[in-house]
Amino acid sequence: MVFNSLPFLIFLPSIAILYYLLPARLRWILLLLASYFFYGYWKVEYLALIAISTMVDYVAASTIASSQHMLKRLAWLSASLATNLGLLFLFKYSSWFMNDVASPLRILNADMVGRFNEFWHYALPVGISFYTFQTMSYTVDVYFGRVQPERNPFKFALFVSFFPQLVAGPIERFSRLHHQLFEPKNLTYENLQHGGRLILYGLFIKMCVADNVAPLVDQIFGEYQSASSVQLLWGMVLFGIQIFSDFHGYSLIAIGSARLLGIALMDNFNSPYSSLSIREFWTRWHISLSTWFRDYVFIPLGGSRASIARWSLNILIVFLVSGLWHGANWTFLAWGAIHGLAYLIERVSNFNRMESLFMKPIRWLITSAVVFLAWVFFRSENIETATSYIYRMFSGVESTINMEWSPLLLSFVGLFLISDFVFKFGNIHDWLNSKRVHIRWGVYALLTYSIMAHSGTINHPFIYFQF
Amino acid sequence: MRLAIRIVAFFFLFLGLNWLYKRWELTQFLDEEASQVLQVRKIANCDVIYISESSNFSPDNSDDFDRRKLSQFIADFYPDLQFEAINLPASHAGIYRQLLHIFPENNDVKTLIVAVNLRSFNANWINSKLETPLNKSAVMYNNRPPLFNRFLISLNAYDDRSIEEREKIMLNHWEIDELPFAYPHDNVKNWTAEEKWGDWQHPKRQLADHFIKQYAYVIDEDNPRIKDLDEIVTIAKSKGWNLMFHILAEDIDRADELVGPQLPQIMRSNSDWITQRYLDQGITVVNNLELLPSLEFAEEDFPSEHYFEKGRKALALNVALELEKFYADQFKNAPWVHTQNHN
Repeated sequence: MVFNSLPFLIFLPSIAILYYLLPARLRWILLLLASYFFYGYWKVEYLALIAISTMVDYVAASTIASSQHMLKRLAWLSASLATNLGLLFLFKYSSWFMNDVASPLRILNADMVGRFNEFWHYALPVGISFYTFQTMSYTVDVYFGRVQPERNPFKFALFVSFFPQLVAGPIERFSRLHHQLFEPKNLTYENLQHGGRLILYGLFIKMCVADNVAPLVDQIFGEYQSASSVQLLWGMVLFGIQIFSDFHGYSLIAIGSARLLGIALMDNFNSPYSSLSIREFWTRWHISLSTWFRDYVFIPLGGSRASIARWSLNILIVFLVSGLWHGANWTFLAWGAIHGLAYLIERVSNFNRMESLFMKPIRWLITSAVVFLAWVFFRSENIETATSYIYRMFSGVESTINMEWSPLLLSFVGLFLISDFVFKFGNIHDWLNSKRVHIRWGVYALLTYSIMAHSGTINHPFIYFQF
Repeated sequence: MRLAIRIVAFFFLFLGLNWLYKRWELTQFLDEEASQVLQVRKIANCDVIYISESSNFSPDNSDDFDRRKLSQFIADFYPDLQFEAINLPASHAGIYRQLLHIFPENNDVKTLIVAVNLRSFNANWINSKLETPLNKSAVMYNNRPPLFNRFLISLNAYDDRSIEEREKIMLNHWEIDELPFAYPHDNVKNWTAEEKWGDWQHPKRQLADHFIKQYAYVIDEDNPRIKDLDEIVTIAKSKGWNLMFHILAEDIDRADELVGPQLPQIMRSNSDWITQRYLDQGITVVNNLELLPSLEFAEEDFPSEHYFEKGRKALALNVALELEKFYADQFKNAPWVHTQNHN
């Protein structure tokens, strides 16, 4: 079930009403059933995968917690990681690995690859990268004694499958989310208002900004060989806006939906395009993923307390894995590599210490240029397309394609960027709280009308669903 | 209490926004996405409505002297009646029935003629990729607040299955829907014209297989188009309209030539089934299935219902004659009838 769909707009209030009508001790059962219904709505078969992941991690964590035997604990941790990463590899990377890595590098012969392609036809299950990461972090936390394991398998299943953040995050930690799911909560006007505002603004930036920008981006990237350099530049910038508004919109609806149920999820974005460095960008963009990589990859690799060479290697590994996490394609690896290298160069050049008033705009410009150029790799089908796109963008090509710009689209994009930069509109709740009633209702009216009358009319799934 | 006040306030806010939308933006949106709604509004005061897909038009590749629509040729027989047509390429009874819901209550329409395209009952058309845009436009074909309809389009609250999904369903139908013939003509998947024309490279083999895929099916009550036609009957009765189903001509001679006698046999059987079903319900049915020779069909490389001028006029004459049932004293020979007979 997707957030910007009629079934969800019926499902969410129905669950919220039932949730508060039920006695507090039974509410988690409703949430579990609702979460499995929400996920199974895509394909019932997907439920088997999340159930496997849940069962393995439940057993692994319970055994790890109850065992004093070092090897046994390590074996169960390995089993958990192997199962989750194995599922991820099978569904997300196996096809790419066989066709784009193993076959060209002659690791496997063409016959074996052909047989694999005949046998394996399964599409990537929605959200698998998100919930496997969430559940893996739980097992690791139990292993290191950071959290106590959940004894009830069904309660643990709710932690893995909690529907607002199941398919595209934010990726939550057990220590933050789990207890909230079972605490008794009263229906408060504050929660309804807070959740409602986030959902309204999330729908606006997804449906009015991302979905209206998407056709232009598709056109420019689809016809990049006929587009002028200026149009290619616009295509790059617009994709940066599309992916931000698409994913930020999704996250806000997720956070808002959880808030209606009295549950606070972590923020996922904090004005990332105002960053003055790549390092800062990664404290503002997809925060739940970047902190996950910091805690479960970077620090175990040695983190910052290592030689400069080892630290550089760790940084590169994290960014390459992060790129690969987004998708099975060389383009995502290239995207990760660009960010990783830029991060290292910043460190070597003392970029982050250039604090003067004169340098800040320059730092912002350089950071934005790197981020947006990297988006070209992220959006392109392959490396050749991405490099050709960038080459054409800088070679002053004048041939042009017909693009339909509407003043309304520009207004939406402008409003979104200004609100994000100036008002930190992602935190619309606090912003509105400081305003008088007529301004609040004026904003509600504007957002509601824009969503209902001017959303995109072509179906564009949330970009991060494919990850 | 605080919450209740806000819910009521949101309701009034919605009413206000809906009014704004209707006043300033609806017409432009309908013009771009669902122009049939505007068409219906314009023609609600005519006497006879002819609703069809592209068969009403003169084909692009024709040398027609008179390029007017088939419905205009029918109108030539009733100069005192006001005729109007609603045309939506690739549409079918499922779309027509939704459009009929938005006719204003106090309309002056007396008679509705619905073009029934035999191909629209097949699995290929029912699961066509064009269904998604048709269904999208059809969201606007109802009397809900227009702002809400517009919102439903953004939410993809219509059948927007992908081309791949639709193709999968179609292929499944070709395999499981039984035909009343022995193997290899027992279903569409098995039935090809290979025996007659050789491999797929032969152009006649390709055309013959297209004919098989378009016409080899058995209509029954479970066919979604039959359900749509049934609903059109109900709507027409509730509105007090005369209703006529016009079964369009198909190139049955070419079907015989390309595939053999079994295909015309099943085409006749299907059109007879439709005719009988609705005659039994008191509906007027004009069955023009076999009226036209091959040379009146515009398309050479695919079965279609695009007719040259003479074909359109022949069909129009048959429909006009049946219309006499409702307008006996208003029938007048069309000026072109004499010429048509000599062509």
